[in-house]
Amino acid sequence: MARSREPSVKSRGERFAERPATRLWLERPAPGNPYLAEHCYCHGYELDALMAGRRFAEVFYLLFRGELPHPAQADLLERLMIALINPGPRHAATRAAMNAGIGRTRRPDILPIALAVQGGAHLGGEEVESAMGFLAANLARPPAETWQSAAPAGPGDRRAAPGFGSRFGGIDPMAARLAGHLAAMPGAGPHLAWGQAAAAGLNPLGMGWLYPGVAAAALLDLGFSRTQGAGLYQIFSAPGLLAHGLEMAGRPITAMPFLDAEHYVIERD
Amino acid sequence: MSSNGTDPDVDDTACWDARRGIFRTRKGGWVIGEAVYNHGYSMMDDLVGHCSFFQVLLLNVTGRLPERRLADWLEATFICLSWPDPRIWCNQVGALAGSARTSPAAAVAAGCLAADSRLYGPGVLEAATAFIVAALDRQRAGWTAERIVADALARLPGQGRPVLVGYARPIATGDERVAAMARVAHELGCPDGPHLQLAWSIDAVLGRDHGEGINLAGYVAAFLSDQGYRGHEIARIYSAWVNSGVHACYAEARDRPADTFLPMRCDDVEYCGIPPRPLPTGC
Repeated sequence: MARSREPSVKSRGERFAERPATRLWLERPAPGNPYLAEHCYCHGYELDALMAGRRFAEVFYLLFRGELPHPAQADLLERLMIALINPGPRHAATRAAMNAGIGRTRRPDILPIALAVQGGAHLGGEEVESAMGFLAANLARPPAETWQSAAPAGPGDRRAAPGFGSRFGGIDPMAARLAGHLAAMPGAGPHLAWGQAAAAGLNPLGMGWLYPGVAAAALLDLGFSRTQGAGLYQIFSAPGLLAHGLEMAGRPITAMPFLDAEHYVIERD
Repeated sequence: MSSNGTDPDVDDTACWDARRGIFRTRKGGWVIGEAVYNHGYSMMDDLVGHCSFFQVLLLNVTGRLPERRLADWLEATFICLSWPDPRIWCNQVGALAGSARTSPAAAVAAGCLAADSRLYGPGVLEAATAFIVAALDRQRAGWTAERIVADALARLPGQGRPVLVGYARPIATGDERVAAMARVAHELGCPDGPHLQLAWSIDAVLGRDHGEGINLAGYVAAFLSDQGYRGHEIARIYSAWVNSGVHACYAEARDRPADTFLPMRCDDVEYCGIPPRPLPTGC
């Protein structure tokens, strides 16, 4: 077998770290085994103590933000997580989970499949990330000035901006109501307030809050960064995605629609 | 706490210590400025331009570089699972991903993951291989195909439909892919080995007595068992079996307006749970 040297391919000689570094988590080894952790610390707080004395939403906030939240922040985060706990059985990511379930996919794979779809730029994690960027960039502008240029009309949903637009040709009443609940909480901040005003300005155009926009505003008010938005949105929706997928997992394949020949039309040019 | 033989308070971690910070591989890898090695071959010198993708896939999975015609046969089996039909569950995941505007990589990965199923796709291959390998052992012990089928059906839970892994498929009976692959194998000059000969016998018994027949997974399992591949190797080879069909369904949905793939009204879902009720107050 030939062995050719490739003089045009050269190592860049970069220095790589000898070990990864993290600010998030400290693992103290057990005395007799350096591979086993005997104590774990999240941003300095021992996990045992967090288990004993803190709510899940507080520890979740700590993990991603580095400090424990104020009570009002924990309340807002927990309320947001409840609001987003299930995208519903008609959402694309949920339908992917249900497809996997009814199709006898290995159960451990149902959630990753759904989360891959939930990362999308339409009503998914990528839209949350974009909406956080939009909100952060426009917070200093009066909301009324934001919608100077109308969203281009076309088939399907319209977007005035990431996180704001129409669904099925109308204004999503659930997203609007949940945003109102969150914006009225003591932990809410300027992004939810701005979004409320902006959505009101959009309503005459047949658009308003979308779920990713609500999540983006709340996450920004809680101090989360744009880079965290997509993944957090996926985590928040994971319970509903998994529940719907597992509900289908034990059912026969005939329990979901399968279009017959009359309703599956192969078009030819 | 397990002892290391010298100190009862110290665990024996030699297995992990020997691997800490160093990776020893028999597969190959990149020697910068020299070559990319793959099981002793220089990929750019020995494989690129000389071997097909599917030869290299088999090499990567098993460590053995097969002859070209086996790789061509394998490629044909991949075409068999490349249907651009979003009604198929894994393909529908791809269509939904396109409708939700994910990346193509996310869509195809999710679709391939969905096909790791006990119903269809590569998820059935290991069980199908175990079935035909055990069946051949029995045939060599004197069992007839009829007895093998009767025994397997008697072991089925619930005594429902005669669904043996590799010998039935959802939605329809019969399998047009098997006939196509038998033709391809013949054209490539690949004779039927003992596993596949037995598989045809089982197919004949099931068809005669139960109206079922061999499916593509059953055919692939038998054919590759004759070629010396084992069940876990076959499952690995086919892990991305459906990727091309998922691509098609993703692409079509991605090129259409977002969230318009088979849109559903609220009442397109039948709710059969507890009717809306007030939340209890207090503890």
